[in-house]
Amino acid sequence: MSTMTPATMLKRPERNKGGAKRQLSPAAKRRSLTGWAFLIPAAVLIGVMMFWPMFQALILSFQTGRGTNLDWADPLLFNYDRMLDDDVFRLTMTNTLLYLVIQVPIMLISALVLANILNNPRLRWKSFWRTAIFVPAAISLVSYSLVFRTIFATDGLVNDFLLWVGFIDLPINWLGETGTARLVIILGLLWRWTGFNVIFYLAALQNIDPTTLEAAKMDGAGPIRTFFSVTIPQMKPMILLTVIMSTNGTIQMFDESYNLTRGGPANTTMTMSHYLYEVSFQNNPNFGYGAALSYVILIIVAVLAAIQMKVGDKRD
Amino acid sequence: MTKFRTGMTMAAAATLAITLSACSSSDGGDSADPSGDTGGGEGGNTLTVWAWDPAFNIYAMEEAEKVYQQEHPDFTLDIQEVTWEDLQPRLTTLAQSQEFGELPDIFLMQNNAFQKNAINYPDLFTDITDLGIGLEEFPEGVVAYSTVDGANYGVPFDSGTAINALRTDIIGEAGYTVDDFTDVTWSEFIAMGEEVLAATGTPMLSGIAGEPDTILMMLQSAGQSMFDAEGNPTITDNAALDASIEVYNEMVDKGIYLEVNSWDEYIGTIVNGGVAGTINGVWISGSIQTAEDQAGNWAVTNLPAIEAVDGATHFSANGGSSWAISSNADVELAADFLATTFAGSTEFYDTILPSAGAVANWIPAGDSDVYNQPVDFFGGQPIYADVISFGAGVPANNTGAYYYEARDAVGVAITQIKGGTDPAAALDEAQATVEFAMS
Repeated sequence: MSTMTPATMLKRPERNKGGAKRQLSPAAKRRSLTGWAFLIPAAVLIGVMMFWPMFQALILSFQTGRGTNLDWADPLLFNYDRMLDDDVFRLTMTNTLLYLVIQVPIMLISALVLANILNNPRLRWKSFWRTAIFVPAAISLVSYSLVFRTIFATDGLVNDFLLWVGFIDLPINWLGETGTARLVIILGLLWRWTGFNVIFYLAALQNIDPTTLEAAKMDGAGPIRTFFSVTIPQMKPMILLTVIMSTNGTIQMFDESYNLTRGGPANTTMTMSHYLYEVSFQNNPNFGYGAALSYVILIIVAVLAAIQMKVGDKRD
Repeated sequence: MTKFRTGMTMAAAATLAITLSACSSSDGGDSADPSGDTGGGEGGNTLTVWAWDPAFNIYAMEEAEKVYQQEHPDFTLDIQEVTWEDLQPRLTTLAQSQEFGELPDIFLMQNNAFQKNAINYPDLFTDITDLGIGLEEFPEGVVAYSTVDGANYGVPFDSGTAINALRTDIIGEAGYTVDDFTDVTWSEFIAMGEEVLAATGTPMLSGIAGEPDTILMMLQSAGQSMFDAEGNPTITDNAALDASIEVYNEMVDKGIYLEVNSWDEYIGTIVNGGVAGTINGVWISGSIQTAEDQAGNWAVTNLPAIEAVDGATHFSANGGSSWAISSNADVELAADFLATTFAGSTEFYDTILPSAGAVANWIPAGDSDVYNQPVDFFGGQPIYADVISFGAGVPANNTGAYYYEARDAVGVAITQIKGGTDPAAALDEAQATVEFAMS
């Protein structure tokens, strides 16, 4: 990369510091201390608010009992073992992975397309389109879920419209059938999150050195060839980031399942996180099992992210 | 860079783990109360209350406040609207984190959830057995909902006695009257329902898809429950449940029973004339009466009986709730308040009955003249006297601590059966799900 991106600017002083470690001047020492002073509050907060509770959740997942009467599970992995016989958990895992496999590729490809259209210098009212596409991402998950729920009710907007146009004779029970209910959730996710990813891709597109595009043109590459051979490779780190974020977000999805479909019909749209909420808060509280479920989700996310980084990131 | 990203991913993935374990900490202790809007044991004249229905139980609380203020002019209530879907997780969170200081003085609890909460989290409640609240003036079966090992934790509020409410104008178009729907069987009900549907295009009933309330009311009317007396689930090999599901599915197939997806839609079908009637706990009459344009066009009768089951009755129940005094309460004031209003004031019940349809469980209230007065909205029928007579015939229901798990599992089974799964297999799975939850 020829341009001076923030990342490369940061790297150089780092290397210098490593070399001069032994003979720090008092001034440098003070600067280093100042640096640590800035880091510590955030580090402590992350430690106390994230890693300590994570550790406690791990302990909790080895305990069993109702409500506050918790005891060590015997055997220690009882909660994890129990999961193997849990049909509802298996169903929620299938649902979640289904959302992941269908929704994430559609969303990221359409985000890529939209970002390229928006990046076209000849596009008019650019900032209007940009805002319009990003606005859904600024809306609360609960609000948009409830709006989708209303729109897709049996007497909702979508049915009214389809009846009026004459596509259907009877209202479709969108949220009452497994297939359509899952479709509505996926549509909701696409509407809510595509714009969010467009912004990432726009940022990446604007960081692409125009000279590389010009060079491709000079070499006789058409726009499609340029896109796949010059633009996409330079966007790879950003694409990887969005893939990991989307995977992570989809696997932990809760709001849509809870608010839009309530997990129904017959639990066939319930996500894993929704199920662990039910186990912990709505049913007879079983927090040990809930914590074990949350650790399984963590492991799934971590494994998927590791695979994606292995496959997608060839730089290091 | 890669390392940083891994860290990011791990950290993001960990958020769930955090939400959970935040509830497991047990060193919270009694925290200070910065918001000042929750209960407290330090005396004063204000009680905080959590309840969920502005047209019904919140309204009743407001009236109780007025009654109590006659003797105690300084007394005030701070009533906070908390839907049941939020109230349960709030209680769980507070109990789990031992933050009892955030509890209100009094909260309302679904009767069907009382055992679960009182068994799992006795620390949330104050034992009211010896606080001078006249619990012996309530029917034993109703007090039993909030009794664990001989200790009482709740003052019964509304009765869940089921009613069969009908739109006389709509069934009239098919040539029927309320009498034709009284003391009938479900097959007679379905036959008439088909006539009504043919004549008016209006289905008889509506309900939320996947929520088996209607089926559970049928089940209870036949004297059966989802649990036996020992608390073991009896979802498989339950002839009454099989028969109820069969009746329900027949109604849905024939278009007599309209399935909707949410509570709002359900209420909408009633108040917008989308159905010719509804079967639910008598508390539904509060919502029915919000449709002022339908005044005079409603009537109430008893439920159809399941003919396939011996000893099936025309009576059932759904819902109902009780007031609990929290462990964080100004116990003396709260107990005195409940004892002189919900468990001791005919005047109070006379006020809330006609306007909110709150049929009392408090036996002395039943002697009041108000119960025998005709209700204009229901065409001059003295419906509350009728409801009291229905209530006497309701068979007992074994709820147990796992009622909601069983209810959800049966709801799933019904959805599966409608989707073509063999009923026996679907119910086997439901039984297994409940047994799994109990294991």
